[in-house]
Amino acid sequence: MKIGIEIHQRLNTSKLFCNCSSDISEDEKPICMIHRRLHPVLSELGEVDEASKSEHLKRRDFEYQVFKNNCLVELDEEPPHPMNDDALNLVLSISAQLNATLVSEIHTMRKTVIDGSNTSGFQRTAVISLNGHVETSKGNVGITSIALEEESAGIISNSENQATYRLDRLGIPLIEISTAPDIKDGDHLREVAEKIGLMLRSTGKVARGLGTIRQDINVSTEGGTRVEIKGAQDLKMLGELAKGEANRQTELVKIIFEIRSKKVLPIDSLSVDLTSIFKSTSASLIKKGLDSGSSILGLLLPKHKGLLGREIQSGKRYGTEMSDYAKLAGVKGIIHSDEQLEKYGITSGEIESVKSALSVGSDDAFVMVVANETAAKAALKNVLVRANMDYVPGETRRANPDGTTTFMRPIPGKARMYPETDIPCVPITSELLSSVSVGESIDAKRSRLEKLLNKDLAATMLKSRNLHVFEKLVELGVEPMLAANTLENTVVALRRDGFEFTDLEKTMVELFSEYKKGSFVKAAVPEVLKYMTKGARVDAVLKIYRLHKITGKDLEKLVSDNGCNLSVIMQKHRLQVDPAEVSQLVGKLKCENPAYR
Amino acid sequence: MYGPKIEAQLKAKKIVIGDRIRVQSQGGEFEGLLMPRPLSGDLEILVLKLDSGYNVGLSVSDVSLIDHQSKKSSSPGASDLSSDSDDPSGAVSILGCGGTIASKIEYKTGAVYPSISASELRASFPQLANFNVRSKQVFSLFSEDFGTYHWKLIAKEVEDQIKKGAQGVVIMHGTDTMTYTACALSFMLQKLPVPVVLVGSQRSSDRPSSENEMNLVNAVYAATKDFGEVSVCMHATTNDTYCHIHRGTRVRKMHTSRRDAFKTINGKPLFLSDYGNSRFESLSPALPKSSKSDFSFSDKINENVAIVYAHPGLKPSFISKLSDYDGVVFVGLGLGHVATNPFNDPNVISVFDEVKALNQSGVATVMAPQTISGRICMRVYTTGRLLIDAGMIGDGADWTPEAAYAKLCFVLGQTKDPKKVKELMMKNIAGELTSCSVFDSDE
Repeated sequence: MKIGIEIHQRLNTSKLFCNCSSDISEDEKPICMIHRRLHPVLSELGEVDEASKSEHLKRRDFEYQVFKNNCLVELDEEPPHPMNDDALNLVLSISAQLNATLVSEIHTMRKTVIDGSNTSGFQRTAVISLNGHVETSKGNVGITSIALEEESAGIISNSENQATYRLDRLGIPLIEISTAPDIKDGDHLREVAEKIGLMLRSTGKVARGLGTIRQDINVSTEGGTRVEIKGAQDLKMLGELAKGEANRQTELVKIIFEIRSKKVLPIDSLSVDLTSIFKSTSASLIKKGLDSGSSILGLLLPKHKGLLGREIQSGKRYGTEMSDYAKLAGVKGIIHSDEQLEKYGITSGEIESVKSALSVGSDDAFVMVVANETAAKAALKNVLVRANMDYVPGETRRANPDGTTTFMRPIPGKARMYPETDIPCVPITSELLSSVSVGESIDAKRSRLEKLLNKDLAATMLKSRNLHVFEKLVELGVEPMLAANTLENTVVALRRDGFEFTDLEKTMVELFSEYKKGSFVKAAVPEVLKYMTKGARVDAVLKIYRLHKITGKDLEKLVSDNGCNLSVIMQKHRLQVDPAEVSQLVGKLKCENPAYR
Repeated sequence: MYGPKIEAQLKAKKIVIGDRIRVQSQGGEFEGLLMPRPLSGDLEILVLKLDSGYNVGLSVSDVSLIDHQSKKSSSPGASDLSSDSDDPSGAVSILGCGGTIASKIEYKTGAVYPSISASELRASFPQLANFNVRSKQVFSLFSEDFGTYHWKLIAKEVEDQIKKGAQGVVIMHGTDTMTYTACALSFMLQKLPVPVVLVGSQRSSDRPSSENEMNLVNAVYAATKDFGEVSVCMHATTNDTYCHIHRGTRVRKMHTSRRDAFKTINGKPLFLSDYGNSRFESLSPALPKSSKSDFSFSDKINENVAIVYAHPGLKPSFISKLSDYDGVVFVGLGLGHVATNPFNDPNVISVFDEVKALNQSGVATVMAPQTISGRICMRVYTTGRLLIDAGMIGDGADWTPEAAYAKLCFVLGQTKDPKKVKELMMKNIAGELTSCSVFDSDE
């Protein structure tokens, strides 16, 4: 089994080919809708991509929700602006961290995507660097390429002939990191994904939150082929998906060998109209179809008896593969002879008539489709195409929550890419490189944090989305342990209690700048912070809630009023006094005044 | 195409574009297809198409051949079109003149280039199969490269198609100067017995989102309908739903990039065309078809006409230099003004004397509005009245600058007699002048 992974991470800069904001919120309401259609085009190699053709067969209408952060570029009404420098610089710096070699000149490509997820009908994407690697516990894993590309539009609803998307996220820069098929197993897959993910987050310049990082995995097995699995949300699932896919391919290979031994390919059966057999059927699915003017067409699959019912993934059979291809023609699915046809309400008499109409022998299988005649014919043609595949087809499949996968489209080929002529190629010059800060490697960062913090807190901080705030506070001269504890413990506890920060970084800088002046004591940090969540300024909080540090003459008075009793003083005034100062003063007063001894 | 260093290596190893090659570069060894070099950028950077489909530019130290390109023809279905343009009788004639609607990528320059013949286009758009169409490539150019020469070629070809019995004529045209051509054809082809429809697209045909198919199909649909004037068919809105058919003399490109850039100025479009839903609705009265015997054609065009855009600080010396022209259209300020200094202010630079001198030397001067919408009213202020006295033509006209320009080219092609020029300019020929500005509450 060979496994590779593609990691897509949104960058926290403005959009890649316009200046619109990448700040999006699920709660935002669209300002209007637009309506479009797409059609396939020839690539520079003079070919139409298979994946595009299969999408086009569906001939769908697309509705797009337009948001405040959209301009004419995302609406495909204005040529793209030049590539966003901030995003490019970030990818250059990440490339260095992953030991990849930069290309000499960046060529932006159009990757044809006509499922409607991009208003232009293509995704703009460019390879920035090649041939890198990431170190792992099981040796180096190669990084084939690092690309910078646009995020697609988000799907809202999808049906046979229509799909609706939201445009707010369209055009947000994504870094795409593709590894070589060097990954050994599921655990290793998770390790690689986590390591790259951590490295990306530690730049402090990538987007955080649900959907901002996506992993696609590529799996191939001995005798199988490369299959791409999209949409795995959970790292924990990656291993299971890879195993499931390897298993599917192995099972398919077994079926292929069996079919080869029967010497039955190529099959050239013609579809046969079976509508008259079901004229007075009581099978509700078929009856409903007939009532709405559908036909029933059948196809003979010689020597396929038992194969269609063979399980290749948990709960999915070889027949499911046929059905997935049939659906490309816009039908709802197929009925095949390895199913319990009685469960559809088809009578044995009807089955016999079908068998006789299709000349089904004792070793043969058949497939039926209920749809309008054109769609049904096209669907059975697709079934025939799939049945005649003497190999495991290269496919893009969607990850299901149960660890199985569903066919989406044939794997896109070279024909899918052609140059984006609206964007001139960008030479990577020494001038450009000198403006790029090559970030610290993740290992270097870890060891630096371990010197500042204890090992556990260093590990937490490394993964934290507040790492950049921590770095800033340390730069301001705040004690690292205090900064880390405040960010990772105090803030988390406050959030749990419902206290939210609109701008954590700003709040922290304000809080600790005041703390550095000695205006309040360490013990008061959580309390001061709590009141600052409501947007109050730190000086106001100190004043209103009486959290100013007590010092000098006031402290002396306090100490003497409390009979120089350290524990009483600390109990009563913990949030306003510095224990070291109090204890020093207590010592001093006791020395001077024997009455306190 | 590539610089001398790379070219030498390619030549020595008999490597041509499209061959599978292996290259050595700083980052290691890479395999892929050799792609043409865009003319921009560093010519010593090799463009390689990786197996993933990505093109990358690499500085290479060595190139070696793996495999020669497969000799696969990529022209789409050209075979069934050899009988093109034999007999347009009863069919819609599609004339190709280039433009984005009929363009594909020129990989040598990396630019979009008009190079799909009308026949190829017909093969590319299955919906055209529902119509009886013939196609002919007249020429293929970016429309910004057009001159009056090209107007004549197109007009002549349209006349030819009509004489041969075409049911209607569709002209595929770049969008940049489409409205100029539409205006010119409106004057050159009068009393039309069939519809003449110009069509283009704002998104090039190499994009899956190109609106070319919808525009073209609706143009052909319109060309089968019952009206007799030169018109323009383009997207009505940003949506891929329906098109507007605009009057040739009233339409203007009002946006650099949007699909719905084309608008009818000072009025409503002629029709709404929605072939997908078999809808063709009248939005304002169009001229009916004339009888074939009334049809008139003139390719007498004077190309010695200039357009001047009025602006603050317009220099008198600039205006004086226009005396070599036969006619000048001023795209004027407000109601139709240029600086005339009626109050003799010492700090004002007037071009009044120069405008007057142009007229006296026989150069026809015509006013059109910079505001695009609205009517030229030079009687209102002293400035306008002075310009009228100086010989400026156009008071009361509600034409667009393009219509005024094309009309002046046409009129000066017919006569140079200043009196007749003025008379012809101010007489409506093809809907470029109306007598009533209708109030539109939608605007």
